[in-house]
This record gives sequence, structure tokens and C-alpha cells, in this order.
Amino acid sequence: MLKIIIPTIMLIPLTWMSKPNMIWINTTTYGLLISLISLSYLNQPNDNTLNSSLMFFSDSLSAPLLALTTWLLPLMLMASQHHLSKEPLTRKKLYISMLILLQLFLIMTFTASELIFFYILFEATLIPTLIIITRWGNQTERLNAGLYFLFYTLMGSLPLLVALLYIHNFMGSLNFLMIQYWIQPLPNSWSNIFLWLACMMAFMVKMPLYGLHLWLPKAHVEAPIAGSMVLAAVLLKLGGYGMMRITTLLNPLTNFMAYPFMMLSLWGMIMTSSICLRQTDLKSLIAYSSVSHMALVIVAVLIQTPWSYMGATALMIAHGLTSSMLFCLANSNYERIHSRTMILARGLQTLLPLMAAWWLLASLTNLALPPTINLIGELFVVMSSFSWSNITIILMGINIIITALYSLYMLITTQRGKYSHHIKNIKPSFTRENALMTLHLLPLLLLSLNPKIILGPIY
Amino acid sequence: MNMFSSCMITALVILTLPIIMSSTKLYKNKLYPYYVKTATSYAFMISMIPTMMFIYSGQETIISNWHWMTIQTMKLSMSFKLDYFSMIFVPVALFVTWSIMEFSMWYMHSDPYINRFFKYLLLFLITMMVLVTANNMFQLFIGWEGVGIMSFLLIGWWYGRTDANTAALQAVLYNRIGDVGFIMTMAWFLLNLNTWDLQQIFITTNDNFNLPLLGLLLAATGKSAQFGLHPWLPSAMEGPTPVSALLHSSTMVVAGVFLLIRFHPLMEHNQTIQTLTLCLGAITTLFTAICALTQNDIKKIVAFSTSSQLGLMMVTIGINQPYLAFLHICTHAFFKAMLFMCSGSVIHSLNDEQDIRKMGGLFKVLPFTTTSLIIGSLALTGMPFLTGFYSKDLIIESANTSNTNAWALLITLVATSLTAAYSTRIMFFTLLGQPRFSPMILINENNPLLINSIKRLLIGSVFAGYIISHSITPTTIPQMTMPHYLKMTALAVTTLGFILALELNLTTQGLKFNYPSNYFKFSSLLGYYPTIMHRLTPKTSLTISQKSASMLLDSIWLENILPKSISYFQMKSSTLISNQKGLIKLYFLSFMLTMILSLLILNYHG
Repeated sequence: MLKIIIPTIMLIPLTWMSKPNMIWINTTTYGLLISLISLSYLNQPNDNTLNSSLMFFSDSLSAPLLALTTWLLPLMLMASQHHLSKEPLTRKKLYISMLILLQLFLIMTFTASELIFFYILFEATLIPTLIIITRWGNQTERLNAGLYFLFYTLMGSLPLLVALLYIHNFMGSLNFLMIQYWIQPLPNSWSNIFLWLACMMAFMVKMPLYGLHLWLPKAHVEAPIAGSMVLAAVLLKLGGYGMMRITTLLNPLTNFMAYPFMMLSLWGMIMTSSICLRQTDLKSLIAYSSVSHMALVIVAVLIQTPWSYMGATALMIAHGLTSSMLFCLANSNYERIHSRTMILARGLQTLLPLMAAWWLLASLTNLALPPTINLIGELFVVMSSFSWSNITIILMGINIIITALYSLYMLITTQRGKYSHHIKNIKPSFTRENALMTLHLLPLLLLSLNPKIILGPIY
Repeated sequence: MNMFSSCMITALVILTLPIIMSSTKLYKNKLYPYYVKTATSYAFMISMIPTMMFIYSGQETIISNWHWMTIQTMKLSMSFKLDYFSMIFVPVALFVTWSIMEFSMWYMHSDPYINRFFKYLLLFLITMMVLVTANNMFQLFIGWEGVGIMSFLLIGWWYGRTDANTAALQAVLYNRIGDVGFIMTMAWFLLNLNTWDLQQIFITTNDNFNLPLLGLLLAATGKSAQFGLHPWLPSAMEGPTPVSALLHSSTMVVAGVFLLIRFHPLMEHNQTIQTLTLCLGAITTLFTAICALTQNDIKKIVAFSTSSQLGLMMVTIGINQPYLAFLHICTHAFFKAMLFMCSGSVIHSLNDEQDIRKMGGLFKVLPFTTTSLIIGSLALTGMPFLTGFYSKDLIIESANTSNTNAWALLITLVATSLTAAYSTRIMFFTLLGQPRFSPMILINENNPLLINSIKRLLIGSVFAGYIISHSITPTTIPQMTMPHYLKMTALAVTTLGFILALELNLTTQGLKFNYPSNYFKFSSLLGYYPTIMHRLTPKTSLTISQKSASMLLDSIWLENILPKSISYFQMKSSTLISNQKGLIKLYFLSFMLTMILSLLILNYHG
């Protein structure tokens, strides 16, 4: 694992020593090279995990997320060039360093083999994200958003620390690799119910579960583009990843503890997607659609069947790329219109036809058009929830319909119709932006050809 | 016999060539539409070879080639099913699309993005081919959704118009409701049969197929615009006329009926679903025929007639005659595409005038279009020895002789007679009588692109039914013997409809138009369906999502319960507990007093 971690650390001196006009190019290229290394982990030759050392390992659950993390850094760098173009050089370098630091923490979080280590890094990712949101956000509300972001996730995850210390006390180890062989079934008692809650709530808040999701739209709306991208693409997935890792400890309590959370997620995904129908703010719409998609992942993880785990893993990767692409598109609109309000950016297809094609493709992947991996994820989740209880198909069905509606509503409002006069003299789309969209879309399409590498360990 | 599958694959590959070419310089060429059209015609000719072989030998094939993935015990691979249905449907669809493409070269010639339009048309056709030839449900679903999305793009082709966008969104919405049924069926098959391959689904015996079949019926209702999910079909007329022609003839709307035909082995012994299908089809065919009676937009009338015919196909499935339904799909494709192209020709000639009240007397200025329009309408009503006759007559006969729901059959008969009525109305108002359009229009239909494409379909509308129904013996045997009066029913009701409509039109033409009756309003307002469903439902659901989901829950309750209340209590308690009240004067006073006191005391002491 050091072959990824050390190059990532070395990105920081690269940033600070690069010539002023080379900082973006150098870091982006170097970041892409690192992501190439991470691809090798996708090849998991046997059923066991790839143990790099006592501290780091990767298996087919963490490898796709690792690849996604490393893939996203160059994309974030490409996306934020315009946003930072007016900043002084030191601040640009500081910004890039923050992104690199975040990637470093994320890589270590996804590959940590020890739960406490995982916990520390899980919390550590908050710091660079907080700085990115509150320092480089666009409006004063960013401070409030940062506060929400920090306190929601921190409050959720503090009980986890206590729970982990307790588990360590009676089990003697918190190593993922060993725990799965030592684990005893938890007897059903009040204290164990609290243990379950303490372990799961941290990740539920991070996902976020409906009801605890308020920080997400605020953080997304206020964050700069790179912040939104990494938040939607990777940070939310930390929750799903953590839940999948920790539920092995909590059996058989999950079987009945899952009910309230399943209900909340099933209900919440319809609520959040119907909120999307009424959004006027483009970024807020995408943020709420993330909540709705993540609710599917929560449902899938709580059902705990092989098919649902496959669906959850596939959906996490698919959603990571799709929502990140949508945020990039929203940002490219924002840079031209200087507003996130959708109604001000009507009829862009007339002016920017290629951008309209990207919008179309992004919306189609968001509404899970076959045969993209989004569909594979959603289909598996729907199937496992259908087998869990036939009635859930009604809720899932409503969600599928509303998802299609708001995706196309977003597409039609921004791209179709007559363009308004104030957007007549906007800039054409840059090659940088088109390349950015292509780099989001290519993995989505290529993974559709061979989805089994992102179907997780159970596949 | 290897020619069989290889020719079929060649035909399908040829279709994809213009799509691949679109990344090259050829796409910028003015000849691109011509290439697309030629590719389609070549694909048609090549696909005729395996079809002939199929007709000769009756050999069914399944091609499995690319292994996609194996999930636990389920294998998913790309596979094509070349059986009766796909082998007959593919050439029909290719033939019809070929003509439509040639027609759109004429109709869309002034569109700046004509190349993209052709690419979309071709993609639409390809997704339909994928749907028809699919041998597993996943591949079928790819085609199914692809058709839906391409219809979204094509209906919303003139994206500057609000109506076009609304219609496109409507199409996706109604189709998406159907998709839920499809997804549920996929989930059910996976859980209970552990397979998505059609042949494996058909050989397993499970007594209770109600749930998946209901899902399929819902899917077919959405895609084929059956009653309840029908409004998107007439709205789809906002798209360009070639799109309507393609959408209504050989692609998209017949996909739902085709799905039910595909899964007919499961429906065969399930009375519940058959009755449901029958009733649904009967209601659809009558309701849409009634709606067609009072429309004034020529395209809307034809659209409602499609809807009515789709209802008839569903009825046919409901009386357990899938082969007849399939025959009707094939024959219907020819004359329906032609009807749309004729109305496109009329509309284009009259400077985009779609109202039949402003037409009239076109038989003198557009003789060729008139001929084809009349033949198409006659074929639609089931005039003997035209294409429609071979399927429609058989359908009515087998419906009459079957011992199912008599009400449903009666409704179907009424709808058949109404078909003749609205067809008369189109002919009467557009073609006959005195011209009512502006005299300044220069009318010219002598364009080879227009004439040839319609001519080809005209020949199809006259002979295709005979050829198709005589080269292939249907596997389910229709009723062979019946009383004389039953044999004549279909013809009699159609003739009755014709005569009644003609007489009514003639007698009422000079009359003053009174305040319309309620029956008229019911029909012209499409049964109040759009008024109720398209205003009330979205309004309530959008209000709910705004008021309760967004405002009440998200902005008020969730915000207040956690963050706001915590910060509030923190603030309150901190001010309560703290002994710093901000009383600066008092603090300083006490400070001063203490100082003075201490000074005094210390001084005294000292």
C-alpha cells in the first residue's frame, strides 16, 4: 500500500516546488499516475484479501473505492482550476495540499486493517474537508454549513469510539482480518442494542440516513466544486464501507435492529427525491438526489444478503462517478451564469451543444439507464429488498419513477427551452471541462462492460 | 444452415455502422441521412434471407455469444432469440423504417441537425431490434429502456417548444410507471426461477405466475399506452411527423404487446391475467376510439386510432390468440406508418396546418397522397383483401366465437365500428368537399423521396397481409367454422360505421354548431382524463413534496429537533448557569467597595 501512500505524500512537495504555471498540470498528471497504480488492486486473484502489511490490506470491497478515490483527485484538480484562478499562488498551493491530504487520509481509511486506525483516519478526513468548505466556499453560509458538517458527523461517531474500545476489551483485537474468525454472536440485551446503535450511527450519519441528512445539502451547496465532488463521490461512501465492515461484528442483532432504519431509509428516499422535484437550486437538487441514492445503499447493507451487498457496492461506485459528474456540470453552469438557480440557466443546449450531451448522459446514468452500472446497482438492491419483503417494491417503484422525473426535470430545465438573453455572451465550454466530463463518463461506460470488478467480496 | 444466424447478425451489424461512423468526418457530410437510409434498406434485404429460410424450414435459433458475467448461479450473456416473432418482425420493422427514413429526408430537409435526427432514428430502431431479438430479460430491458429514452429525445426534438418538452417528459413518466412492473417481474423471476433466460423461464413450471404476469401487464400498459397510462401517446404528436410514424407503427408502442406475446407461454393457462388483459384491451380500444371521434388535429386522430388498435391487440392476447395479435402488429405497421406519412405530406403541403377543419378538397391537388390515405384508412378499418383485413377480421371472428367475457367483446365490436367512423371523418374533411385552406399556398407533392416512400408502404398496405398470413401458418389455431352471421359481423359493423359516419357528416355539415352536448365534451376533452390526472395529481404531489417533505419535515422539524434545539438549549443553559450577567457597573462597584474596604482595613492594621 505504501506504493500509493508515499507518492501521494510526495504530491505535497511537488505542489509547493512547482513553477507557478505548472502547479495544476504537474499535480494532475502525477495524480493520474497514482490512480494507475491503484488500478492494480482491482485484480484480486484469490478469495483472500491482499495483505500489504499489518496495517494495510485491500479486498474486492475496498479496491474499487480505493480506485475511485485516487481517480477523483486529478478530476477535482481539473474541476477547480477556474474557481481558484483569481486566488494568490500560496492559497492555490494550500488548496491543492488540502485535497492531497484528504486523498491521503481517504486511501488509508479504505485500506486500514485495524478498526481503531480506521476510526482515527475516518475522523481525520473531516479536517481537510472542513477547511475546504469553510475557507473556499462562496458565501457566508459556508461557516454554518461547516458547523453542521462537523457536528453532525462528530456527534454520530463519538459513540463509535466508546463502542470500539469496549469491543477491543472483550475481544482482544480489532483487526478486520482476525475479527471475522473470532466473532461470537451478540446476545440480545439492552446494552448490546446500544452497542449496535453506537457502531452503526456513525456511518448512518455519514451516509446520510434520512433525518440525519441536513448537513449534506448545506455542505454540498456551500462547498467549492472540489469539496462537493469529493463529498458526494467518496466521503459518503465511507459510511457504506464502514457499515459493511462493521455489520459482521453485530450479528444476529442486525436482523431486528434493522427495521426502524429500513423504514426510515425507504420512507426517506421517497421524501428526498420528492424534495428534488421542488428544488430551484441545482446543487441542492443533486445533493438531495445523493441522499435518496444513499438510502438505497443503507437498505441494501441492512438486508445483508449477497445480492444486496453486490448491489450496494456497485451503487456506491456508480453513484460516486455520476454525482461527481453532475456537480461538475452544475459548476460549469455556475461559472458561466454565476448563479445556482436553475431557471436562470435555461436553454443552454442552443449555446453549448456538447455540454448538453454531457448533461444528457449524466442524467441518464443518474436515472439508471440500462446497461450502466447504476442500473446494476439499483436492480440488485430492488431485487434484494423485494425478496426481503414484497411490499417494498411499491416504495422502490415510486422512487424509480421520481428519480427519472427529477433527473429529466433537471435536464429539461437547464438544457431545453428558449434561452434567456442574459446568457447570450457566455464563454464556450473549455477543453478542460469536456475532458473532465469524459473522464467521469469513461469509467462508468467501461465498468458497464465488466461490472464484476465492482461487485464486492461476495461476488 | 449457418447462413441463418450469420445473415441475421450481419443485418444487425449493418445497422450499427452509421452510428460508429458518426464519430468520423462522414457525420458532417450532407449525405449522412442518405447513408443511414441505405444502411437500413440493406439491413432489410439481408434480413429477408434468414426470414425466407425460416419460412421454409421453420427452424428456431438462439445465438449466445458474449458472456457478460456470472453472478453466483446465474449466467448473463448476450444472446439473441431468432424465432417466429423476431424473424417476422425484424424485416417488417426494417422495411417500414426504411420508408420512414426516406420520407424524413423530405420532411426534415430544412432542419439544421438532420444528421443527428437520423442518428436518433437509427438508434431508436436499433433499440427496438435489441428488444425484439433479446433472449434474456436483461437484454430485453436494455432495449425496453433504450426505446423509452430515444422516444424522449425524438419527441422533444424541437426542444425550444415547451409542449414538446412536456410531451417528452410525459412519455418517459408513463413508461417509467410501466418499468416498475418490468423490474418487479425481473426480481420475481430471479428469486423464484433463478434465471432471466426466456427458454429457461418457459420450461419451468410454477403454478402461481400471477405476480410476474401482473408486472408484465403493467409494463405493457405503460409502453403500449393502454387505458390508465394512455395520455402520453396522443401527446407524443408534438414530435416531428416521421417520429410519430416510427413510434406508432413498428417501434415503441407495439413493444408492450410484443412483450406479452413473448411471455405468452406463461399466460396461456392463467385465466385471471387473460381476463384482465381482455378487459383492459377492450376498455382501451373503445375509449380511445371515442376520443378519436371528435378530435380536429389530423395527427391526433391517427394517434388515437393507433391506441385503439393497440387495445384490439390486447384483446386478442386476452382471448388467447397471441399469433393473431402478432399478425396484427405486423400488418398494422404498414398502413399506420403510411397514414402518418400521408398526414405529414398534407401538413407539410398546407404550411404546417394540422386542423382538419381547415383542409378539404385535397383530392384534386394531392392525388397521390389522397389515394394512399384512402387505402390506408380502408386497410385500417379492415376492408376485405387489404392488409388490415387478414388480421382484423380473424381477430373479430375468433373473439366472436370464443366463450369469454361478452361485454368485453361487445365493446370491441363497437370500437371496430367507430374505427370506420373516424376514418370516414378524416377522409371526408381532408380530402373531399371544397377547399377551406388559404389559396396562396403552393402545393406540390411530386418529390421522389415522398412518392417512393409512400408508394412502397402503399404496396405493403395492399399485399403484406396476404403475404404474411399465407406464408406462415399460425401455431394457435383460429376458429375455422362459424355461423354465417358471425362471419359477417366484422364486415357488417365496419360498413355500418362507414355509412353512419358519412351520412352524419353529410347531413350535419350545413347545420349551425350548437352548444356542445356533454357526450361531445366527454369525447373532445379525452374523457376528462388529462384535466383530472394531469392537473390534480401533479399539483397534489408537488404541493405535498413542497409543503410537507421540503418545508415541514426538512426545513422545520428536522432542523428544529436536532441542530436548532441543541444550540438553543446550550445557549439558554449557559446563560442560566453562568454568574456573569454583564452587570459591569455592579461588578466595578463591588470591586471598588472591596478595594476601599481592604485599603481601610489594611491601613488601620498597619
